Amino acid sequence: MQRMKKILVVDDSATMRHMVQASLSRLAESAFIEAGNGLEAIEQLALTAVDLIVADLNMPDMHGIELIRFVRKQPAYQAVPIVVLTTRSDAASRSAALAAGASYYLTKPFSPDELAAEVGRLLTHA
Amino acid sequence: VTRTPPDNPLIAEFLDDYFAECDEHLTVIRRGLLAFESQIGRVRPDRRLCDELLRSLHTIKGLSGMVAIQPAESLSHQMESFLRALQDGNQPLTTDSFEALIAGTRRLEEVLAASRTHASMPDSAALIARFEALSRASAPLSTSLSTSPSTAAQESLPGRAVTSAGGVAGGGEEPSDGGLPQGMVLWRFGFQPSVPLHERGVNVTSVRKRLQAIGDIRYAAPRIAENGGGISFEFLVAAPADAAAFAGWQADGLTWTQEPPPETAGRSAPGALPAAVGLAPLSVTNSVRVDLSRLDTLVQLVGDLVISRSRLADILQRLDPSLPAAQRRALQETNQAIERQLRMLRDGVMRVRLVPISEAFARLQFIVRDLAGEQGKQIKLEVYGQETEIDKYLVERIRDPLLHLIRNAIGHGLEPAAERLACSKPAEGRITLRAATAGESVVLEVEDDGRGIDAADVAAQAHALGLRDTPDLAEGLSLLDILCLPGFTTRTQADRISGRGVGMDVVRSTIRELGGSLAMDSRPGRGTRFSLRLPLTLAIADALIAGVGRQTFAIPRALVEEVLPLGSCSSTRFENNEVILHRGQVLPLVRLASVLGLNEVAVQDHGFALVIDLGASQAALAVDTLVGLREIVVRTLTDPLVRVPGIVGATELGDGRAVLILDAPALIRAARQPPHGESRRRVEV
Repeated sequence: MQRMKKILVVDDSATMRHMVQASLSRLAESAFIEAGNGLEAIEQLALTAVDLIVADLNMPDMHGIELIRFVRKQPAYQAVPIVVLTTRSDAASRSAALAAGASYYLTKPFSPDELAAEVGRLLTHA
Repeated sequence: VTRTPPDNPLIAEFLDDYFAECDEHLTVIRRGLLAFESQIGRVRPDRRLCDELLRSLHTIKGLSGMVAIQPAESLSHQMESFLRALQDGNQPLTTDSFEALIAGTRRLEEVLAASRTHASMPDSAALIARFEALSRASAPLSTSLSTSPSTAAQESLPGRAVTSAGGVAGGGEEPSDGGLPQGMVLWRFGFQPSVPLHERGVNVTSVRKRLQAIGDIRYAAPRIAENGGGISFEFLVAAPADAAAFAGWQADGLTWTQEPPPETAGRSAPGALPAAVGLAPLSVTNSVRVDLSRLDTLVQLVGDLVISRSRLADILQRLDPSLPAAQRRALQETNQAIERQLRMLRDGVMRVRLVPISEAFARLQFIVRDLAGEQGKQIKLEVYGQETEIDKYLVERIRDPLLHLIRNAIGHGLEPAAERLACSKPAEGRITLRAATAGESVVLEVEDDGRGIDAADVAAQAHALGLRDTPDLAEGLSLLDILCLPGFTTRTQADRISGRGVGMDVVRSTIRELGGSLAMDSRPGRGTRFSLRLPLTLAIADALIAGVGRQTFAIPRALVEEVLPLGSCSSTRFENNEVILHRGQVLPLVRLASVLGLNEVAVQDHGFALVIDLGASQAALAVDTLVGLREIVVRTLTDPLVRVPGIVGATELGDGRAVLILDAPALIRAARQPPHGESRRRVEV
């Protein structure tokens, strides 16, 4: 049997974090960890093994792109899938996020189906 | 931005959370805008203030998109775009654009309120167009608003980028130590998180909170240890040189060194702190949002416990006297311990419901600004005691009364500038909002330095309106009583400033329903002050249990100033009124038995007089017996069919008896009204 997948949800809005979790709750056997900013996210990653990260871009303290770069510098997290979830729909933000190491880029308002499908796919392939 | 939202099952599930979070952000925006006003005329206004506004607008935009409230999404998007253009452009913040931000915020509130109540949505098209024009005018020439590829990613990165692993970020992102206040040095703190620390609640957020308490965090960044070790965090903190404040923090994974003193040569001016300054306030993960109904359940349960405890005390009182003293004492002591712990539990639960009044005050500051503009009056608003905490339920219920008092102060109280100058007052009118805790009560004051209330005018007005046959202050009706007569108004025209259909009668009755009282002090030519006294918390209160004849009643302790044995202060009759002399003052004495129409055996000279606070004056209420001071659980009578003036609710005593809780001030007022007051009382019911 597969072990429970751990998903880290990083967003400064609590409601948004809960929306992400509700969208992903249909994925069997996943557990969620929350972080309200980049520093909290990095701390969580240092303390537990995480299987996938869903992160916002516009956050206080540490921008999402900086978070992705920092995560990718750690050997343990070079391959962890990172889904960016942001209101920024411009091509420049998208390419900056992907260049930093994001696995998938989804804009808000997001479709729960699309998010779940993509996260499911990334978890199986990982 | 105006995309069709996907068919989203999250909408219904998260709508309440959405409104709650938007409310929090609107509070932040309102507070931020008040501070932002100081930036009018500046090019690239204060980064910290801008960032705070941007963050909240951005979150509202993102969430509004998710729940498909499109007008809120577009409006917050446009406001955000304008602020970004302002932040990066070379145009100053103008009075006009600041006003637009205020108007936008208000419209956002209205849009959210309309969504919540399913009312028709206000039109935001004109405002949106205004922000689009403002953004165009403010944007730097080199950057088009459609964010060209070269700038978009850059723009989306805030000034305080985080460092790369093991070193300081390139481009000198780590801030200089310029602008260190006198007596402060720069400390470099390291924090290495671990699972045991995390389990003890020591984490990057709690460490940051700790550092914020000792100084000003100038910089925070994660690090990867060079030897392949774990993650750590680094903070630069401007704090006093004395390390005693953080002695013992090693045990919590913290290390620190003092930075060498800054070289002053070549440093930028103290005012020019880099953008890296100013970390966001604590993240939301540190607090929990709880549905009020769950807290209400807790309060209810504590209330039930209070009743059970007093039942236990009652049983102990009647214990078989043959019980050995040691056993009896053990029981008594346990009972006392439970009482003490219960009080702590009650306080704890009540404290969870407390919120700072600043939230309500910020909204009022906003409105004062607005009304001052509309009326062409110069108004200075002074606010004291914003940190005063008050029950969440109360804060919502007193919003309208406070608003009404403020509107009155601006519309009727403060004179136009010319009139003020003529009476050698400063042209700028002053309104003062105060909040303070006084024992078990919270006192809120709204004061203006305007023309005051003319008693003769008010009496004449009331007469003209036919509110009373002979409105005469000598009748014992205070000025405030007249102002609070239903239907009373001094308005000559239905101006929107003080109108909106709410009269002082509604203000007073709302405050009374909340178990509070209203007082007024007005001096012609000097100004008017309204004081609202409210219980700190609802539901559980201390009350005096008193008996009249065979009946028992509860009277809220907060209203009773003093208890006097009737025998000690002889009462005399004075023009049909009974009075007592107390501390050199003549207090009217009202016998509870006669007010309530209970069969009086005889006018008693034993018994007690309770000195009741009527706001501006005092009166004594006579009762036959006093059972004692009890903690009671207030069950308000909300059914209009059983609502009676003078009765605020009911409670259950330890012995299981239900007793009525009296609104002593209302009873006294009713009793002191002459018979022709009957017509008014009927209207009130």
